[in-house]
Amino acid sequence: MSGDADDERIFLQSRKVRWSILAAYWAVILLALPLWWTTTSIQRLSLPTSRVEDLSREDLRFPVDITLNPSTGVDVNALSVKLRGLINARLGPDVRSWLNVNVHPNPVPGTDSYVLDFDAGSQDSTVKERNLTLAGDGSSPSKAANLLIDLLTPRHTAANQQKIAKYSPRYRLAFSLLNENAALGKSALGWDLNDALSRYLFPTLQSLQLLHNFTIESQVQFHAPLAFDPTHLNDSAHGLTHEDLTVFVNSAEWSLSSSASNDPVLHFVLFVPSIPHRPLYLLDSEGTPMKSNAFILPQWGGIVIHNFSPDMTSNLHMTPEHLEGIFSAFRLQLFTLLGVPELPKGVLCLDDALPSRWQMDSLLRQRSLENVASTTETLHSIIKLVNQIENMPVKEDVKGDIQNALDTLELTYKSSNSAKSALEYSARALTLSSRAFFNPGMLALLYFPPEHTYAIYAPLFAPVSLPLLAPVVREFIAWRKAKRAKQKVE
Amino acid sequence: MILTRVLCVLLAVWSVYADPRIESEHFEEDLVIRPLKDGRTSARFSFTTTLENKSPRNPELLGEDDDSQHYTLFPLTLGQILREYAITELHLSLNAGKWNYDTWGMPDEPGVATGGELWAWIGDGAPTSVDRRWQGLRNALAGLFCASLGVMDEQRTTSPSRTFRPEGSLPDWGHAHHLRHAFLPSEHVCTENLTPFYKLLPCKSFSGIATLLNPHKLFDADWHGMSVHVLWKEDVGIQVRLTFQAVLDPVRNSWNNKRDWSLKSLFDRQIAQSCPVSSASQIRVSIPKDQPHLFTPQPSRVDGSYAVFDVSNTADVEMRWHEEASFENPATGKQEPVSALSVRRTLESVNKYRGSLKVAVTNNGGDDMQTTYLETLPWFVQLYLHTLRIECNGTRRGDLLRGATFTPPIPHSRPTLYQSTLTIPARSTVYMTLDVTKAFLRYTEHPPDAQRGWDLPPAVFVPIRTDGEGWDGVERVYTPILLVDLATPDFSMPYNVIIMSSTLITFIFGSIFNLLTRKFIVVKMEGDEKSGDGEEREAGRTGGKGGEL
Repeated sequence: MSGDADDERIFLQSRKVRWSILAAYWAVILLALPLWWTTTSIQRLSLPTSRVEDLSREDLRFPVDITLNPSTGVDVNALSVKLRGLINARLGPDVRSWLNVNVHPNPVPGTDSYVLDFDAGSQDSTVKERNLTLAGDGSSPSKAANLLIDLLTPRHTAANQQKIAKYSPRYRLAFSLLNENAALGKSALGWDLNDALSRYLFPTLQSLQLLHNFTIESQVQFHAPLAFDPTHLNDSAHGLTHEDLTVFVNSAEWSLSSSASNDPVLHFVLFVPSIPHRPLYLLDSEGTPMKSNAFILPQWGGIVIHNFSPDMTSNLHMTPEHLEGIFSAFRLQLFTLLGVPELPKGVLCLDDALPSRWQMDSLLRQRSLENVASTTETLHSIIKLVNQIENMPVKEDVKGDIQNALDTLELTYKSSNSAKSALEYSARALTLSSRAFFNPGMLALLYFPPEHTYAIYAPLFAPVSLPLLAPVVREFIAWRKAKRAKQKVE
Repeated sequence: MILTRVLCVLLAVWSVYADPRIESEHFEEDLVIRPLKDGRTSARFSFTTTLENKSPRNPELLGEDDDSQHYTLFPLTLGQILREYAITELHLSLNAGKWNYDTWGMPDEPGVATGGELWAWIGDGAPTSVDRRWQGLRNALAGLFCASLGVMDEQRTTSPSRTFRPEGSLPDWGHAHHLRHAFLPSEHVCTENLTPFYKLLPCKSFSGIATLLNPHKLFDADWHGMSVHVLWKEDVGIQVRLTFQAVLDPVRNSWNNKRDWSLKSLFDRQIAQSCPVSSASQIRVSIPKDQPHLFTPQPSRVDGSYAVFDVSNTADVEMRWHEEASFENPATGKQEPVSALSVRRTLESVNKYRGSLKVAVTNNGGDDMQTTYLETLPWFVQLYLHTLRIECNGTRRGDLLRGATFTPPIPHSRPTLYQSTLTIPARSTVYMTLDVTKAFLRYTEHPPDAQRGWDLPPAVFVPIRTDGEGWDGVERVYTPILLVDLATPDFSMPYNVIIMSSTLITFIFGSIFNLLTRKFIVVKMEGDEKSGDGEEREAGRTGGKGGEL
């Protein structure tokens, strides 16, 4: 014991100094731990999960006001009550969650409501702007209710639903005149596209501008071979079977794609078969030629096959007169691709430009609902993904985009009485949410797991920790021994 | 009634708006074949599409919606790129092989730099900067031509405006135009570049002269390259010229060692049908002087030193040296170079750190000659201008070099740009020597794959005509590219370094830490007057053990 006491007198050997050196090392290590933790951890901001849940439970509800024209001489009050009851009873519960139909006997000031009129002298029902004039005297409210439902909530067939392109605020419309082989002669070496567009398509595009902006471009190709041989029919005609149509676009040889812009493209192709393949028809399932020579490739675009008359002698420049029928086909294809609903049977449109106001309104509502649905779906996926993958960083920009998307989504709900602004907000919300989803910063650290870092630094950590731990153990044993010895002495 | 009238007026307004000027497009194709001195044959395809009365996009209007693009002959995919980034003038070439100026003479297309070369004149004043648009252009062209042009980043981009003058006109928008130029010497042209190339042609490779673009033959040639030129001429309009150039060897492919050729033997194809939209299609064959030869069929006309064949009624062209039993290459003997300028450029180095760049320029003509000299080197090869030595006929001639401009490199970002004017006395050679150092690259700057070294871009010489014609930027002489070997680390090194330094740190830390925490005890040996008890000895031993840890 006396030796220990001797050592204690030397400053360096005193137990206190040794302990404080040890404590200092451990203090540095312990204090450095939080710093190490913050500098190596991935920034994961918390996402507004509950707000996403709340907002996705909310419904976008469009109020629709229908006013009866009081000059018809029928009992408008009774009719309005009857119509409202009939419509609400016949609308499915899924439709009633987003459509709120009200029928008023008199015009409600300040709202742009639909006006219902009756014309006993007319054979056909007509729409003009937001007015609907029904044939008959208004004695059958059931018929009127059915027609109104068809106009307000038009249903696409499943096949047509698949053809509709995904919503985008801007589309590029690419018109291509493709000659299968112009070197053989009797082909179209050019077209008056500008004239044809302004005559047949611009009025339509003008009214569609409520939903989309359009960039238009066109090209002519003189050699656009098919990747397959069309079926040979008798009397020198050729036909395309349904299977042929699925591989009709020969993307290896037709340079239709572009690399300059990210906007989705809708293609409109006018295909002129080469002389040996003329005339070229579309075949139905039984192999007989069909009347129409136009077909749609879902979400891609429309194709019209044009057979020149056999008595044509030389090459031709297509004039707007040649293109009239082709462009009316293109216009119908455009309607289908953009999801413009058809008018119910027996309803005529008196407006100058198709589509009518009724069609546009229901399309606006439809597109807004789609956008809201895919926005909430995207937001859910982000949250699910972030919860699932713990290494995924969530930075300020992603959080900001999500928050902005939620704000815009709220604005969409608030502005549901104007279908146009609801669409604008919903489109913006969709853009923001998909930008957040595709943020490249979220992938940054996915491929560098922490195990690799530990593996590289193990040669440092393991040998350093041993000398750090050993003296602690040693001192602890020495301290216990000393204590026991002290007790023994006492 | 009124509504229909309004609609009619609207329609009229639209049609006027949509078509402000009547634009017309036309397309011309041309094939020039030149028999060369060494028995080879040079073929140059040229396809020109002109968009009349149309001007490039004003960069100031880049933020707004562009006019609709309606083209009949002009390639839409290229037009989209040009308008998206508002490019006024563009030149892209992708070549493989070394153009032999001494025996082949000046090429029909001046851009023969090995690998890729892209330069563009871009107008300023847009909401996005010139460099951003240059980047977009590179990436878009990389996508269009399946070439790795995207890597021509700021580490390769220079602005050598003395050497690359605009070949068309530059519109006056009130803002300056800037040149961006980059070499990519390691790029190789192959079938995947040719396929998108002929898709830009109105007749693709199905009819007209383009039928002859047979990849099997073209990529077998001793030298081959393609290029795209877009320029604007004030009185004409926008012109896109696509060219393909190849040096084929009919002697190598013949069984009797003769240099006779036909389109069939050169390209293994004939022109079966003519392109219906081409306004001029002709094949021009250079007529060799003082050598008896025969053409089949007879040329439709002779234009200067060229025999001209019209493609619309010619499927094949054949040329025979009927008095020659077999071809003997005169180049094997002493032979005067064909071109006025011969250039040799080498990089000599004894170690991985320093070396010297040697350039020898020979004037083969009888008159003194002035040329511009352009050197663009990546940052990792650093030039030292003060070491520049110019010698001619054994004497130092510093006076031969004038008007030098130098942009020093910035490590890891900007290349060197050196331009000057060089005078070469008649029938003599000027030797230039410059010391260089080679940088040690960062670990991440090395490519991930095994490689042969780093390609250095060629130097460019542009002869200045002194006979009153002034600037003639179209004649350019590219030197062959160089290969530099940089110090390459052992790539397993980072892990070794980590382990080594970890071990070292651990060792130092362990010893110091042990010294600090060790308990030193005076051990009293037996025989000492005051012997210590066993407990102390025990403690001393444990302390010693602890120290060894």
